[in-house]
Amino acid sequence: MFYCDQYHVPQTLEEAFDLIQTNKGSYKVLAGATDLLPWAREGRGGDVNFESVIDISKITDMSEWQLQGDRISLGANVTIQQLLEDPFLRKHIPVMAKSAVWFADDQIREQATLGGNLVNASPAADATPPMLAMNAELTLQRKYKGKINQRKLPLHEFVTGPGKTRLEDGELVTRVECDSMPGYGSAFEKVGHRRSLVISTVCLAALVSLSDNGRKFEDVRLALGGVGPVPVRLHESESCLISKPVETELINKSADLAVKNVQSRTRQEYRREVVFNFVKRGIIEAMKDIETNYAEVDKNIKPRKNYG
Amino acid sequence: MANFDIQMTVNGRQVSQSVSPHLRLLDFLREELHWTGSKEGCGAGECGSCSVFVDGVLMKSCLMPVAKAQDTIIETIEGLEEQGKLNVLQQAFQKTGASQCGYCIPGMMMAATAALRANPHAGREEIKERLGGNICRCTGYQKIFEATELARDVMNGTLPDDLLKQENDEGPFIGSNSFRIDTSSKVTGSLKYAGDMVMPQMLHMQVLRSPYPHAEILEINTSAAEAMAGVEAVVTCNDVPGIDGFGVFTDDQPVLARGKVRYVGEAIAAVAAEDLVTAKKALKKIKVRYQQLPVITKPEDAIKTGATVIHEDVPDNIVMHIPIRKGNVDKVMAESDHVIEDTYYTQPVEHAYLEPEAGLAYLDADGTLVIQSPSQNITHHRHKLAKILDLPINRVRMIMSAVGGGFGGKEDMHYQGIMALAVLKCRRPIRYVFTREESIIASAKRHPFIIKYQLGLSRDGHIQASRIHMLSDAGAYNCSSEGVMRKAAILAAGPYAIENLIVDAIGVYTNNTPSGAMRTFGAMQSQFATECHLDLCAEKLKMDPVELRLMNFLKEGDETHTRQKLGSVSMLEVFNSALELADWEAGISNSRGSTRSDLGNPGNRPPCTLGAREFPQETVSAGQSA
Amino acid sequence: MNAPLRKSVRQKRGRGVAACWYGIARTATIDRAGAWAELDDGGTAKIITGVTEIGEGILTVLAQIAADELGIKPQDVTIGDNDTARSPEAAHAGATRQTYMIGNAVALACREARKRLIKELAQEWEISEDDIVCSNGMISTLDKTRCITISEAVELCKNRGVVPVGSGSFTANHTGLDPENGSGSPWQAYVYGAQVAEVEIDTETGEVQVLGVWAAHDVGRAVNPQGVEGQIEGGVVMAVGQTLMEDYKQVDGYPSTMNLAKYILPTSLDVPEVSSVIIEDPDPLSPLGVKGIGEPSMIPTAPAIINAIYDAVGVRIHSLPATPEKVLAALREKRDSADSVEKSAKSI
Repeated sequence: MFYCDQYHVPQTLEEAFDLIQTNKGSYKVLAGATDLLPWAREGRGGDVNFESVIDISKITDMSEWQLQGDRISLGANVTIQQLLEDPFLRKHIPVMAKSAVWFADDQIREQATLGGNLVNASPAADATPPMLAMNAELTLQRKYKGKINQRKLPLHEFVTGPGKTRLEDGELVTRVECDSMPGYGSAFEKVGHRRSLVISTVCLAALVSLSDNGRKFEDVRLALGGVGPVPVRLHESESCLISKPVETELINKSADLAVKNVQSRTRQEYRREVVFNFVKRGIIEAMKDIETNYAEVDKNIKPRKNYG
Repeated sequence: MANFDIQMTVNGRQVSQSVSPHLRLLDFLREELHWTGSKEGCGAGECGSCSVFVDGVLMKSCLMPVAKAQDTIIETIEGLEEQGKLNVLQQAFQKTGASQCGYCIPGMMMAATAALRANPHAGREEIKERLGGNICRCTGYQKIFEATELARDVMNGTLPDDLLKQENDEGPFIGSNSFRIDTSSKVTGSLKYAGDMVMPQMLHMQVLRSPYPHAEILEINTSAAEAMAGVEAVVTCNDVPGIDGFGVFTDDQPVLARGKVRYVGEAIAAVAAEDLVTAKKALKKIKVRYQQLPVITKPEDAIKTGATVIHEDVPDNIVMHIPIRKGNVDKVMAESDHVIEDTYYTQPVEHAYLEPEAGLAYLDADGTLVIQSPSQNITHHRHKLAKILDLPINRVRMIMSAVGGGFGGKEDMHYQGIMALAVLKCRRPIRYVFTREESIIASAKRHPFIIKYQLGLSRDGHIQASRIHMLSDAGAYNCSSEGVMRKAAILAAGPYAIENLIVDAIGVYTNNTPSGAMRTFGAMQSQFATECHLDLCAEKLKMDPVELRLMNFLKEGDETHTRQKLGSVSMLEVFNSALELADWEAGISNSRGSTRSDLGNPGNRPPCTLGAREFPQETVSAGQSA
Repeated sequence: MNAPLRKSVRQKRGRGVAACWYGIARTATIDRAGAWAELDDGGTAKIITGVTEIGEGILTVLAQIAADELGIKPQDVTIGDNDTARSPEAAHAGATRQTYMIGNAVALACREARKRLIKELAQEWEISEDDIVCSNGMISTLDKTRCITISEAVELCKNRGVVPVGSGSFTANHTGLDPENGSGSPWQAYVYGAQVAEVEIDTETGEVQVLGVWAAHDVGRAVNPQGVEGQIEGGVVMAVGQTLMEDYKQVDGYPSTMNLAKYILPTSLDVPEVSSVIIEDPDPLSPLGVKGIGEPSMIPTAPAIINAIYDAVGVRIHSLPATPEKVLAALREKRDSADSVEKSAKSI
């Protein structure tokens, strides 16, 4: 059960940092609450008592987004449902919408925030792989000696293990910046044990851009979740395709290279096979997304025999 | 705890109150405002029984600290009626019979409302996606989809509202779709389940449960808990005045653990206190010393010689063995053209009724002990309690409160005895509401089975002999295991005429969560094996699996496996009707999916790919924020 | 709804069928249920029985039965239930017994109450009791020459000093099993069922989607067909859950699926379209001919799905649930063994 003695709802970042300082050592920051409340139950966190809860979800500065050159800057309080529904975000980072439709359900998405999902650092967090693929960088802010300092950290450095990040005491993730992806096709693949409200056994984000009239890969971005302690970017799989012709053999090779990223302790063989299939399928679906005709490639790709 | 002031509008009424900051919106609505229409099914956002609108947006109120709802407009199920009448969606739920136990319905109605508000023309696939956060365990969702579509069409004027009316008001009523007499209370949220009830002076109960699968209890020290302010009573097995023990077939389970615990989650002691938080804190002050014992978790280990004994009076750990013998299996099996063997496994299954166990217990004016709970067997529970409490049977009164799903899981008297002990000690009303987690670990599961199946068949497919051996994990206590073994055994060989047969169903004790009654009582496990095995046999015999069944079905006048002469047998008609309904294509091969011509007929849904809804195109210019 | 077939290497479809049987009411032991009935003022009725509604709709079923027996409407029937101190024993909600046991007990109780009313009326009208019928809120002579409302009839009956009450007890004569060979008559009424399932399997992930289930069940006599359908649909979907995803797990006796995030239930996106056909083969041994449906509805589903998986992709799953992991592993095994067969064929 979740207990707290005080519940604060700061309206500005300044207020939030003041509360953090006043309640040093005894506060808990909360955004959407959709991870914290289920955690504070039997069999997980059990009965947890916080002296002070600081609810940052009403800080309006953290709910905005802007296009900044070829990057998009999103406030950490942007909800997963906004990623799914907002026309501007759907246009600029469509892969987030594709991931969001798989994220829990409509109701939880209304509450859950992008920042919260990243900070929670679940190995199966659905928002993390697409953000990794879009070179996300977090803005972390902290008040020190009366002044708000900030630092920036790439997402792949931020998440260090299951539930573990480089977030320091007193720090808040306030913004998430990522590439805007015009011209890219995208795909999000996910498998779990059902179709709604489900934790990923494996999920994959794929982004592809083509050149040479669709005959060459211009850029490929791939990232996986659910297969190890942290979601991972598949650099090797990407580089084996970038600037290369669109060929079945290469796509197979790219998928092959992804398989070794499976580090989960359970269902390894399953995950390896799905990772192979997802990378291959993700690339093809992303290409189809840019309306190029890849039916031929699709047909020639056969299941692999051995995933050991 | 520092209270804070909260204001909001709930179903059109202004509310202003000072509340404890740890409350969730759901607690505030239910416990402070007594809007109990919104239900708690899981407390973790996984079921949607608590869905409400917050400023027009559907949310799960169990995931929302109440402070987040400051200055919002809340709509709950109780706000849906229009001028004291069921609204169109509520009428549509009534018309299609979309509510069964009704516990998910408040949340489900809100989700359906949200779906049609978001898109008044939503198609079935979009409706399904928008209901994706709300679990229903009774209806299979079909009638909920139908109701939502019916409401959509009536609201859009594409169907007349006459369709919402009862079809037959003249009789005869047997054979007609009369409206369920409990629908209106279920679609308005007015029906009270046990966890919704309150009484003056009511105490709250919490139960200390075993952290170990098998352990001796050396000591239970309750003194620190009893000394706490706000704690009215602590009960243990020492408070049982009569003969301790309950179960559906044998009374092998004490009301509260006596000397030993045999599974994780077994009740050991209970606290009744002025409020829930105090009761929970008091539990932590009960000190129990355990001596852990060897643990048996596999039924095959439980029956090995020298295995740890789980119940002292059952040295072989066998709860029940039901044998059925007919004809001469050894001889006929040896003479059969084909002998086909395989092994099948079924898993333990949670009932997952949306309403976790709950109860309200009190003393009537004449001193009679009353327990209101969603019990599936008040008659039996009354007998057991009278014996446990050493009371005349008419001094125990069991009232079944509205049941939010049972499926057999509420046949066991897992907590009513504890409540009775506490009420007799405090002589004040007591309420006890399980959490979802507690419900899952403490209550019985469907029996898992290991089924070894051997069939002897003639070349043309007649079943000559059958040998079925079933070993089942009964868990730590008997519950309904005896009956489950019996039903599994009687029905195991399926609706087929078989002259030579050996069936054994053996249930054994382990230190797993007890297995108990669950919908089909063992019959779905044993017949799962039968029906899979028949397809395997058909494949080996290169026969149509339909033909194989048709030639072996029981007929009128045949003897069952227990040598009962049957009257009318509808099996053939039923089977052919299912095939006809499905437009089934006959065929020999068992693996012919790729060449079938009967696939994809209108009785299928489209495969779910997610993404059924359409989104508006961008209308704001880039750079603008939310 | 039409579900267009996707021609694809990845998705495979198949169908399976399975049959079932089931016994109605308590197994291998005598079963009984009691009820009281009263024709009440205003042409209404009170039915008192220890029935336990668990959501299946038994109260509505009993109201329909009482309405037909008494010639009134279901909404005019008040059912007092579920209180051991106030109602006669009807025992438990389980064993697919309530419509059969309590339905028949209520019918018997209503018949007795009706008989008491008709007896008074017959004396008042000076005709034979056999010449009086109740229906549609009216009570009349067979030739319709005399006709009054049931409300008036109750008043008349009471004015003659008689309250039209009745009681009913229904028995199912089941016998125990022989402890050596299991022989016996565990039930007097049996039901039969059959279902076809159609599945689509994603061969890249091992996911199985059940797209359609076609179910036929004998229920004896359907008191409320929509309610019967509801039981079939609910049973099928519960079985889909058990077949594909549900698994209560324990590690060395410690539960590891103790919440609904870990213990996975079917959502609205996981369930098939269910089509039902209700077969009525009435039970000859009871007044109403009704039997039951609650439990048997979920028996054929699991094997029908497992058989359909085999039909689609040629792998046989022997243990429930058929998770994506299990299905994909079986497909892999099948591919590997096909390869080794191919190899050994080549080496010869």
